[in-house]
Amino acid sequence: MLRLILLGVLIIVIWISSVPYLIPKKVKHSFSDAELREVALSKGMRSIPKEYDAFLKLLDSPKNPITKEKVALGKALFFDVNLSKDNRVSCATCHMLSQNPHNKTQFLDDITNPQSKTDCMVCHIKDQSGSDRLSTAIGVNGRTDPYHRNTLTILNTALAKYQMWDASVKESVKSVELMIEDANKMGLSAKEAERKIAKSVYYKKEFQKVFTEGITFENITLAIDAYQKTLLTRSDFDRFLDGNNSAISESAKRGLRNFIELGCKGCHSGRTIGGETIQHFPTRNYNYIINVTGLFSTEYVGRDVASFNFNFKEYHRFPFENVGGFLGKKEEQRFRVPILRNVTKTSPYFHNGAVFDLREAVYIMGKYQLSMELTETQIDEITDFLKSLEGDVVEYEELK
Amino acid sequence: MKLLYINLDIAFLFVTGVLQMEFVNLAWNYFRIVEFVHIFGSILLIALFIFPFLYSHIKDTMVKYKARSRSGMLFGVVFILLIVSGFYLFLVGNRGGDSLGTLSFSVHLYGSFVLLFLLGIHLKKFFTPSTATKIASLLVILLPLTPYSHAEKLTNVQYEEGVSRYHNIEWTNSTTCKECHPKIFKQWANSNHRHLADSNPYYMVLENLAGMDRGEEFRTWCMGCHNPSAVSMKQEKTTHFMRDNIMPDPLFVEDSQNLVDAYKSHPNRLEQGVSCIACHRITDASPKGNSSYTLKLKERKKYLYEDAHSDTKAWISQKLINANPKTHKEEYMKPLYKKSEYCASCHNEFLPHSSKIVVSTYEQWKNSKYNTSKNPKEHKECIDCHMNYLKDGNYVGRSGKSTLGGEVKKSIKTHYFTGANHFLVGLKSKEHESQSLQLLKSSAKLDSAIKENKLLVGVTNVGAGHKLPTGASDFREMWLDITVRDRDGRVIFSTGKLDESGNIEKNSIVYNKVFGDKEGNPVGLLFWRYEKLLKDTRIDAGKRVQESFSLPSDAKYPLKAEIKLNFRIYPQWVTDVVKVSYPQLPNPPVVTIAKEEKLFE
Repeated sequence: MLRLILLGVLIIVIWISSVPYLIPKKVKHSFSDAELREVALSKGMRSIPKEYDAFLKLLDSPKNPITKEKVALGKALFFDVNLSKDNRVSCATCHMLSQNPHNKTQFLDDITNPQSKTDCMVCHIKDQSGSDRLSTAIGVNGRTDPYHRNTLTILNTALAKYQMWDASVKESVKSVELMIEDANKMGLSAKEAERKIAKSVYYKKEFQKVFTEGITFENITLAIDAYQKTLLTRSDFDRFLDGNNSAISESAKRGLRNFIELGCKGCHSGRTIGGETIQHFPTRNYNYIINVTGLFSTEYVGRDVASFNFNFKEYHRFPFENVGGFLGKKEEQRFRVPILRNVTKTSPYFHNGAVFDLREAVYIMGKYQLSMELTETQIDEITDFLKSLEGDVVEYEELK
Repeated sequence: MKLLYINLDIAFLFVTGVLQMEFVNLAWNYFRIVEFVHIFGSILLIALFIFPFLYSHIKDTMVKYKARSRSGMLFGVVFILLIVSGFYLFLVGNRGGDSLGTLSFSVHLYGSFVLLFLLGIHLKKFFTPSTATKIASLLVILLPLTPYSHAEKLTNVQYEEGVSRYHNIEWTNSTTCKECHPKIFKQWANSNHRHLADSNPYYMVLENLAGMDRGEEFRTWCMGCHNPSAVSMKQEKTTHFMRDNIMPDPLFVEDSQNLVDAYKSHPNRLEQGVSCIACHRITDASPKGNSSYTLKLKERKKYLYEDAHSDTKAWISQKLINANPKTHKEEYMKPLYKKSEYCASCHNEFLPHSSKIVVSTYEQWKNSKYNTSKNPKEHKECIDCHMNYLKDGNYVGRSGKSTLGGEVKKSIKTHYFTGANHFLVGLKSKEHESQSLQLLKSSAKLDSAIKENKLLVGVTNVGAGHKLPTGASDFREMWLDITVRDRDGRVIFSTGKLDESGNIEKNSIVYNKVFGDKEGNPVGLLFWRYEKLLKDTRIDAGKRVQESFSLPSDAKYPLKAEIKLNFRIYPQWVTDVVKVSYPQLPNPPVVTIAKEEKLFE
């Protein structure tokens, strides 16, 4: 008997220790740069145009033709705090940008001449992120969004098929209208906005030049929309797609491969790498797999058993704190897939800004959307790829 | 059959125990598992199998048949001793502070051999041990074993870590150290080493400026010493915490409560700044400067569940460490840490693009009288002053325990990291501020005389083992504030006063250095533009400098002079700039290092 037991133990030990050597190593097919580009393009990824003609082809519409004067007018309105109820909030308050996004010494200029700048802005304006870097937006009279939604970046937004977290808006001009009228954002009715803008001699003159009807609320939104359409960014990834193999690092290329192979690109698709579809989040709810504690107490129903550790955790519908209680489209936890361009500049993440770390966000996406525990290396590589999506606002000569 | 199983159980306890012996020198990866298996396996086996068996066995033999087996009874006694000592090791540990721990360790270790020996005798009828076996087992018992390492091994191991980056999971959060080292944690938590990066407003502004001026990648130069964890993670910049929409105010938070709270909700979030293991996992350091140290985080011997975040697992890991803390001590404390070369890896600083020296505190110490290895009584390393405890301006040392339940040490290396920056630590802890002020006040002395209608003031660097001021001395101010009154109380001479904006008035005697750029203009905040040294009036260790001020020739004697040697950690113009980003920042106060009031006839 003893011999049998010993023999059994021995066999088991040998088996376990030799298994890694017995399984043949799968040789990973490696893509060349050209192949990788081809795959990326075949999945619908496209670069942001650097030529004005291509840009017009992409975004110009007969309803609201883009002209140099209109963009200039839109820019003036974008940075104008008079477009809010308390004369303190402009579009640029939340969609933080500087008037000249290419001024490299902006920070030094601001810090030595501190005029009309708030404290956070002094440092963060140089991100040129088009978002406010806060969990949730702060609008007129310090009001925050009742759903505690995070500010989406304005960069590249015009290219997306859907706008807003719950994809409630399709046309970008509609979103301008919504933001101005929202009582927690800029808080102006259409009439008030017209009246306030009409006070300015400059606007009167410019509106007459650009629009036949002069100052109307619709024209205000159209002008701002024309400006927001020009806020496109070109990144290293675009240069890679255009044929420059050395534009992104090897790690970023592996990240791109992971991004495509693991399935991220399924939702984060198209030119904007996101913004094209509406999806469930989270698709996997680990809260419901084993419901142990709920047997005894209703308080902890559905607690995340994956982290079962006797620390009582609150139940969340999301893999993070459900601040604001926003549940997306029709309260079905369906959201517009966020645009990943410039994602490195737009922390915190998710609809309520509960996650601050990009790597943590990537991990959550892997686990809760794809059922994959991504390894640290995979997360590194994907993060490097996401970094390569960071870009500067394109300057079109024709609009200068 | 039953007997065989019980014997196998005992063999299991014995073998897993023996495997942990120093003599066996088991690979660490196995050791940590074996330790866990030994403790919890033993508890299970004893409770489920051995106790029930012993109960029925004793009942059968001693109660029913009135048998008296001496070896059996001895076996029982030793077995109970082993269980008691085992539980002591598990629940209290062998941390060095109490002799009971060491005793338990010895009892547990040697007793197990005795137990096996007695078992052999008890089971004589199954196998009679030969004389050779008896002698052999006796020899094993007498193997040279150290129950607890009191002496530190001088192991200066050279490590090569073949990784390109670390991950936050490898950066053990300092909060985990707090459980067993609460006092040291508290000292560190309010110290400047903790607040070097994201919680230091001056640093955040300067790093952003550096990134703006010389390109984003230049931040890494700053972060190498200020933020080792982020650098090793290949992060490009230092980022600050946010709590929802609010930036938690790190300036006034005592004992790094924000770090502890953040750890609870986000155990994997990277801790920035110089954390516990940023220093305690350095395996090699050269005095070259600019973060010239070698880290080794990945390949370290971790006890089972050492990195776990849940309370239960963390509790188990603490027990596992306490039961046998030798490896823990060796992993996190190295002889290197007491040498000045180790500190020099960051307290020497040069510009990477021009090799211009910005900070040379280590070199200053090296050339000072405190670096005399021939004369051990006079010799002082960095930590002899900066990790010492000050009372009434004297280095008195502090006896106590660095570990909860650990041995009492005569002079603990305090982790206040006392330096000149009394200001930022003072916002958090008065204790730290007082340490820093005492250090400052012990650094210099004043003397004065009047000769030929000239006021002569001497300033001597008596306390510092380096120049006064040192470090980022382009952002330090030490100056003479002098008021001379004549017989009628009229001020006939004055220098070194603050003007309305808070800056020192012009033509004052300021001890610092001023960097200039290529054209010879002062660089201001952008100190990485340094090309030419415009001014260097710092005072060498042990040296005296003399200033002379001419007094008006018609002064009416006796003259009353009030001379102060003042110090301010950041000039007002620097604070003004930082305040744009951090409006809540107060102005740093002026500290009087030395003061002299004298009447001249």
